[in-house]
Amino acid sequence: MATSLRLRRSRSAPNVRGVVHYARSVIGKTLRDSRRTTIIVSALLFLLLISVTAAVANEFDTPTKRKSLADLVAGLPPILQGLAGKPINVETMGGYVQYKYGTFFPIVLSLWSILALSSTLASEAKRGSLEFVAAAPISRRRIVLEKLSGHIVVITIASVAVFLSTAIAGAVNGKLPGDEISVTAAFAYALQLGLMALAAGGLAFALSQFLGRGPGVAIAGAVMFGGWILNGYQGAVPVLAPFANLTWFGWTSNHLPLAGVYDWPSLIPVALAVVLLFVIGVEAFVRRDIGTTSAVPTPSLPRFLVGLGGPAARSFGNGLPTALAWGLGLGIYGLVIAASATAFTDLIQTSPDVARMLQQVFPGTDILSVGGFLQLLFFQFGLILAGLAAATLVGSWSGHETSGRLEMLLATPLARARWVMSGGVAIAGLIVVFVVVAAIGIAIGTAMIGGDLGGPVVGTFALGAFAAAFAGIGVAIAGVSRSSWAAPAVALLTIGTWFVDTIVPAFKLPDLVHQLALSAHYGLPMLGQWDVAGLVASGVLAVGGVAVGVWGFGRRDLRS
Amino acid sequence: MTAIIQTEKLTKSYGEHRGIIDIDLQVNEGEAFGFLGPNGAGKTTTIRTLLDHLRPTSGRATIFGIETTVDPVAIHRRIGYLPGEFALYDKLTGGQTIDYFANLRGGVDAAYQADLIRRLDIDPSRKFKEYSKGNKQKVGLIVALQHRPDLLILDEPTSGLDPLVQQTFFEVIREAKAEGRTVFLSSHILGEVEKTCDRVAIIRDGLLVKVDRVEALRDLAHHQVELRFSGEVPVAAFSGLPGVSDVTADEHVLRLRVSGSITPVVREAARYELLDFVSREPSLEETFLAEYGRTAGQPA
Repeated sequence: MATSLRLRRSRSAPNVRGVVHYARSVIGKTLRDSRRTTIIVSALLFLLLISVTAAVANEFDTPTKRKSLADLVAGLPPILQGLAGKPINVETMGGYVQYKYGTFFPIVLSLWSILALSSTLASEAKRGSLEFVAAAPISRRRIVLEKLSGHIVVITIASVAVFLSTAIAGAVNGKLPGDEISVTAAFAYALQLGLMALAAGGLAFALSQFLGRGPGVAIAGAVMFGGWILNGYQGAVPVLAPFANLTWFGWTSNHLPLAGVYDWPSLIPVALAVVLLFVIGVEAFVRRDIGTTSAVPTPSLPRFLVGLGGPAARSFGNGLPTALAWGLGLGIYGLVIAASATAFTDLIQTSPDVARMLQQVFPGTDILSVGGFLQLLFFQFGLILAGLAAATLVGSWSGHETSGRLEMLLATPLARARWVMSGGVAIAGLIVVFVVVAAIGIAIGTAMIGGDLGGPVVGTFALGAFAAAFAGIGVAIAGVSRSSWAAPAVALLTIGTWFVDTIVPAFKLPDLVHQLALSAHYGLPMLGQWDVAGLVASGVLAVGGVAVGVWGFGRRDLRS
Repeated sequence: MTAIIQTEKLTKSYGEHRGIIDIDLQVNEGEAFGFLGPNGAGKTTTIRTLLDHLRPTSGRATIFGIETTVDPVAIHRRIGYLPGEFALYDKLTGGQTIDYFANLRGGVDAAYQADLIRRLDIDPSRKFKEYSKGNKQKVGLIVALQHRPDLLILDEPTSGLDPLVQQTFFEVIREAKAEGRTVFLSSHILGEVEKTCDRVAIIRDGLLVKVDRVEALRDLAHHQVELRFSGEVPVAAFSGLPGVSDVTADEHVLRLRVSGSITPVVREAARYELLDFVSREPSLEETFLAEYGRTAGQPA
């Protein structure tokens, strides 16, 4: 009775506090559930934009340096520009940030949107809470619209953080005339980011109504990353060009507000796509059975790969689809890069200045080989992906405890130490799988142009060493503290490593800081030049992490 | 009599939250032991501590004479466990799930496994995520039973099972008992404890408040007696009898509550011309609620 009275009161006299209070409305609950992620993502984007603009302005602090930079960028062949944007006004701080990072920030926000909007109803349906919510005296349309509104609010908050950081950076960090970033430019960039994120999330949201969360995330993620890569490489690989304009990355490729170039009309189709996808998702949810989706036919694993023989085999079988997916993604990316190496070499030979610059950066190496090209364009990004893959593989294993499966497993004659060691073995096996699949992709790409297979293929295993090290840290965290913290911690470490790799050289910070990043210790593996220190450190972290995990897990309570 | 489970001052605290306090318990070989208590009383905490899933804050527990924190694997080798809430592998079929746990243990009799699958009426070819709640519970039961463990620890085992399958479950438990195996059954459904158990322990707010035989526990409860007289109701003659309380009279009907033996009431009633004598035997549920100081229908 008290609840219904409270509900009636909140409906008859709506106010901001009443709407937002999590116990009183669906939107309030949505905002409450998203509050930590909103703070983290907003803060991350804010800091990255402030840092990156400051780094660019500090690194290139004279007109001469800016001109050299612009000349260098203009001289780069399209393949080297890769996933960067169009090089317009790169002699300005905003123009360079737009060129170098303009397409990266939407990826961060879009990933969050995909994960959030695909799970907003699917996760509730899976755990059963949607049954209760839908049984409340609230229409389904209102439930889903409040959920969407909550997500739009948090994306808006993150976009406001982007707007503020860009505007502040333009006012504070600029060193030379032209470095100012107008409020209009900041707004235009923030709006673009927000809309692109909502488009990606909207696609996942609409698809997950029909296919369930997993396929929704997979397809929306593939469309997003595919659009990003196609748009980035369409200049270098003309065969990609027809497909590049199929996504919002292509539609908005001429909207470069930080470089002072606006293409406002290009945002209209993005906005329309958002509305259309939201409408499809809402109407599908209103009309369909709750908790029922159509299964996407996927091949089942052969029985021997399902892993029923023991804990290591089961953990391996459980994570195998994830490892294969990462391997395929990384392999296709490596294949495209490797297969483009000839075009790169041909172009570089027509540009002696660029060749000379590359030789200065990588002295004593054959940077014009396939291996050199992969080292230049694949390896660093590959490390980030390997770290994220490690996070998901650790999550697949640690999920045994968070889901409650471990409660039954550890009631069998399975010692805790054996469970953790089996997990370590399984994760190591899964890392081998995704690295081997990625290496096959690179081998195919390299073979297509008749390159030397040895260096690139063996070099791919450096990604495995990196992933194994971070996985070891994840296992240690799961063992000592909480399983639910393991995967996020590995993902954060990966992003932190990327941050150090990016910021330290730009800010000319002491090399000691850069040495803290494990990624700085592998040498040039795609060229066959290995730094043993990195491999040893990886081995110590991998094995030591499992040992710490065994020690910690033997001493704490099992969480139910 | 060999003690299979023995706890001494077993305590588990979760900081500010109450867990269990000074639990002293003994479960003997071959008996079915009911562990009763309302939600949040500490049943699951006790079980998880016995399994070494939780480490005791103080006190100790032994199973098969082995201290739970010293060699849990040796204990787990001989037990079958069904948690109150559990999750398994969504993408595996029921049959694969059962096989996996059989492989983890080793030595499972395939014929007995197949018999359980048949008796509990489960389709092992369907994926776990496609099962109803009841069918998931059946898979959990088979996982717990298939290796014929010396000790069964079952937390709310009939949750989600339809009445027919519940009957099959009770049969299986009776068979286990007949084979000399021990059953530790936690529940808040008193009917199932009443049907299957020899002894019962009641836990409330983390404290063990009663351990006794099922029959003795029932005897502890009051009887609701209703006497219909042909003449006037002799209220005074009954209200002073030992164990009698809550005496009310309504024309020719006398209602009273009797704690302990009902014999004094029967003797006194024999002195009068009676039209009817009704003594309702209390259910275990009423006993349980009386132990908690509540009556049926009152909110917890």
